[in-house]
Amino acid sequence: MLALLSRGPRYGYQLRAEFEASTGATWPLNIGQVYTTLTRMERDGLVEPGSADDQGRVVYTITEAGRTELERWFSTPVGQSDRPRDELVIKVAMATATGEAAQVLAAQRVATMRAMQQLTRAKRDSTDGLAQRLVLDSMIFKAEAEQRWLDHCEAILKEKNA
Amino acid sequence: MTVVSLQNVTRTHGEVRALNGVSLDVAPGELVAVMGPSGSGKSTLLNLAGGLDRPTSGTVVIDGHDLAGTADLAALRRGSVGYVFQDLNLIPSLTAAENVMLPRELDGVRTGRARREALTILAEVELDHYADRFPEELSGGQRQRVAIARALVGERRLLLADEPTGALDTATGDEIMRLLRARCDAGAAVLLVTHEPRYAAWADRVVFLRDGEIVDSSAMPMESAR
Repeated sequence: MLALLSRGPRYGYQLRAEFEASTGATWPLNIGQVYTTLTRMERDGLVEPGSADDQGRVVYTITEAGRTELERWFSTPVGQSDRPRDELVIKVAMATATGEAAQVLAAQRVATMRAMQQLTRAKRDSTDGLAQRLVLDSMIFKAEAEQRWLDHCEAILKEKNA
Repeated sequence: MTVVSLQNVTRTHGEVRALNGVSLDVAPGELVAVMGPSGSGKSTLLNLAGGLDRPTSGTVVIDGHDLAGTADLAALRRGSVGYVFQDLNLIPSLTAAENVMLPRELDGVRTGRARREALTILAEVELDHYADRFPEELSGGQRQRVAIARALVGERRLLLADEPTGALDTATGDEIMRLLRARCDAGAAVLLVTHEPRYAAWADRVVFLRDGEIVDSSAMPMESAR
């Protein structure tokens, strides 16, 4: 949100619309989340509200502290450990222990490929600009990594069972 | 109506079953990707679908011709099938247009008409301004587009692509897939072999080969609103 506000003052509903447009509606936000976050950032001195207009809407502006925080965020790489546990990895590990890995891998291979086909179709049909395309590409690369890992698991298991 | 149809096809090399009871149809406008580890039968499948080889049992029909009743496979291939490989095999001493003209001239088409056809298909792959350049004057992606134009020139409706994005960076690989997809949407049938899931995902159907058999396939519903 600080990134969007760094381009100029915005109303809450504008922040929501712009966020969804640039991420290809990948992470839908509800307006409540937007205002909760704005309130928290106001408390921390990162944004400043203007006075309400006659419809009670408030324009928010980024502060100097907000710009510093944004710069820090952009310059900090995302750590591997910041991501949540992967259910698929746990499922494959458990299935390997109980001898059901082959079925899990086969079912996931088709599901992951179908998801990737859907993402690729969305990318083909996408006309909403660069940010959205890159978000879709990110999801495609992640799905591809998963697919490669599934093939890798299959090859290793085959070797062990041969 | 299918452009290529394999029914219960088996191909053995001595004791080895390279392909075992495979059935696969590719229709006009359809892009089908084949994925599998090395030794799974991908190359055998592609060779049979392209009329480079005959099945040990089962039937292969290309553009309405049953391979079993076709004495001259080379003539069938020339008329119906185009190939795109990772190693582009453009002839370095010929321009882009001349490379595309070559298969048509081998078909006995006169030079003037072959050139007109070449320029038309080069325009369709957005290379009309590069017709008189030599391969070394083109980027990797442009060279691959010339190879695709050469594969589709004339009446060919079946395109077999073996790792066509292999030597390309990801952005250029996407560009090639976008082009193959567009040729499909214009009525060609494409059978693609790739080991990269990202490119297979451009297909309407992805077929998984393991030990000579199709073990799974992931089909997208046909698009109705296009």
